[in-house]
Amino acid sequence: MHYANTYLDKPVVPDVNINKEGSEIVLKCMLNTGSDIYQGACKKRGSTLKEEYKNVSGTCYMDPRDMEKLGVNNWENVLVKTDWGEVVVNAAASRDAPHEGTVFICKGPWANTVVSSDTYCCSDPTYKGIHCTVEKTDRKVLLMADLMRLVYKKYVDEDDDETIENMPSLGELPVYKKKE
Amino acid sequence: MAYEEPITDYDEIVENCTCAFCGCNCDDLDYLVKDGHVVGVRHACRLGASKIMEDMDQRLIVPMVRDDNGELKEVDWDTALDKAAEYIANSIRPVMYGWSETSTECMKEGLALGEYIGAVLDNQATICHGPSLQAVQNAGYPIQTLGEVQNRADVCVYSGSNAMNSHPRHLARYSVFCRGFFRSRGRFDRTVVTMDPKFTDTAKMSDKWIGFEQNGDYGFYNAIRAVLKGKELSQDVISGIPKEDIYELVEEMKNAEFGVLFFGLGLTHTLSKQRNIDIAIKMVQDLNKFSKWGLTPMRGHFNVNGFNIFMAFETGFPFGVDFARGYARYVLGETNTIDLLTRGEPDVFLVIAADPGAHFPNKANQHLAKIPVIQIDIHWGPSTELADVVLPGSFIGVECGGTSYRMDGVLIFMKKAIDKPETCRDDEWIVRELKERVMKLRKEPNVAPEYIPNPAAQ
Repeated sequence: MHYANTYLDKPVVPDVNINKEGSEIVLKCMLNTGSDIYQGACKKRGSTLKEEYKNVSGTCYMDPRDMEKLGVNNWENVLVKTDWGEVVVNAAASRDAPHEGTVFICKGPWANTVVSSDTYCCSDPTYKGIHCTVEKTDRKVLLMADLMRLVYKKYVDEDDDETIENMPSLGELPVYKKKE
Repeated sequence: MAYEEPITDYDEIVENCTCAFCGCNCDDLDYLVKDGHVVGVRHACRLGASKIMEDMDQRLIVPMVRDDNGELKEVDWDTALDKAAEYIANSIRPVMYGWSETSTECMKEGLALGEYIGAVLDNQATICHGPSLQAVQNAGYPIQTLGEVQNRADVCVYSGSNAMNSHPRHLARYSVFCRGFFRSRGRFDRTVVTMDPKFTDTAKMSDKWIGFEQNGDYGFYNAIRAVLKGKELSQDVISGIPKEDIYELVEEMKNAEFGVLFFGLGLTHTLSKQRNIDIAIKMVQDLNKFSKWGLTPMRGHFNVNGFNIFMAFETGFPFGVDFARGYARYVLGETNTIDLLTRGEPDVFLVIAADPGAHFPNKANQHLAKIPVIQIDIHWGPSTELADVVLPGSFIGVECGGTSYRMDGVLIFMKKAIDKPETCRDDEWIVRELKERVMKLRKEPNVAPEYIPNPAAQ
């Protein structure tokens, strides 16, 4: 059947070409989270287990000058740390640059790991304007199901983060026991 | 983007359907249907088309319950509903969260259930436009409908909202590009101003971009109010904006024939939260001394406004309503989902048509990992990874009819276009069924104790 195509491998981002080592190992930034059209389309279609969701939601959009400071290219991995947690995400050049010193991660399980839960009695957590650090890393970006297993450990008999991170992936399709 | 062939292989067209994505509720969509599936959507934006032509790989088809090994297992409807009802009936502090992507008819059943067992009912406003609703209670609600905007507005201000990405047809259908009765040339008759620290896609197509600094929104609006009241600005640069630019902007806003402020999560998620919206509403009120101005919050889900209107009508409070004492209470910072979860209060969490796994901060979700979670939804999402009972619902506006409220409060009926998968049920049926089963398990409703006056006080 011919469906109209709304699928996408990766969001479209500007080209950057960084050949040299970065001048900084850890970059201090301001983190904003929110939605963009790629994240919205993928999430609401329901493709949250897929590689596509990992690329649209688990991506840190950075100013090319910040990428140069760290020595990262598009779709290389970075570790984002805040007071509330840390997460490995892709790095990509922002379509809205310049915004040096500010990074943007679309909402989703990846951003949730590092945003502030402080509501200041106003019901709304602080999703924007969070101090963070960004550094280059060799760890890989996890798929949604693997990330949920690592962060919340609800149905896994293991406490060690490193062991869970290196467990076999849960894959890109729902896993459940069908009725015989 | 590669060129894509138009869809010609379809059985029928279902006309005038309503989009079930964002608060724009575009009601002019045509679905191309083949073999009981929507294979193409006309007139919708990328987001709407994507949602309506859903990913069937991840569609929740059958009810599921976690077994002892922590694996989800397919069960029949009776088993799943009984399990869910048992969790709810035995709970002390249940929270029922979600409701924004389901119909108002379903909310009615949900409220009856929540009131019966003394639950907290909350919706996505708690993590998006909650501060806007608080500000409306603080400062007022100078709203207009989107039809008025289309026909009259000549200045449209988008503040902390990237409409081109989150409400793509908003500009085309209601505010900027569309032609209206008094704006017959469409885009040429209107001025668009975007206020956002980021040079967003909306900013790129605007006539003016005000890139105030991060967390600078409160100071910036205060400066505008000061100028509106005829004061001189003593600082040269306010929130990163030179004062001359502020004077110029104020002059432009005062001279508008009909101005509208659309504001989004950029204002509600930063540090000043509802105070940002307070000051924005007061700015609109001040502007009304010179011209006609209104505002509209850019609501995210198609019926998130519906839950707030429905709850305000039924209980007096828009969201975060707590029935634990047998009557409706609404205490900000106490009866809201995020605060309840970070304090670790709830012992059962029912999530309907929402995705806390994808949108709650880590610390709130940590508590969901400790308690039973019941999920009613149409897709396998991050919340399914935390859910103990999964009940597959149906897709409002595609597989099931229902009523919803647009972002400006206009009521829209969303019609059914195709049949739902055989093993799924309507959200309304699921919640009603849960209610009846809970009532069987817990005979007495949760009511407030009788009021006995203190004799000493008389």
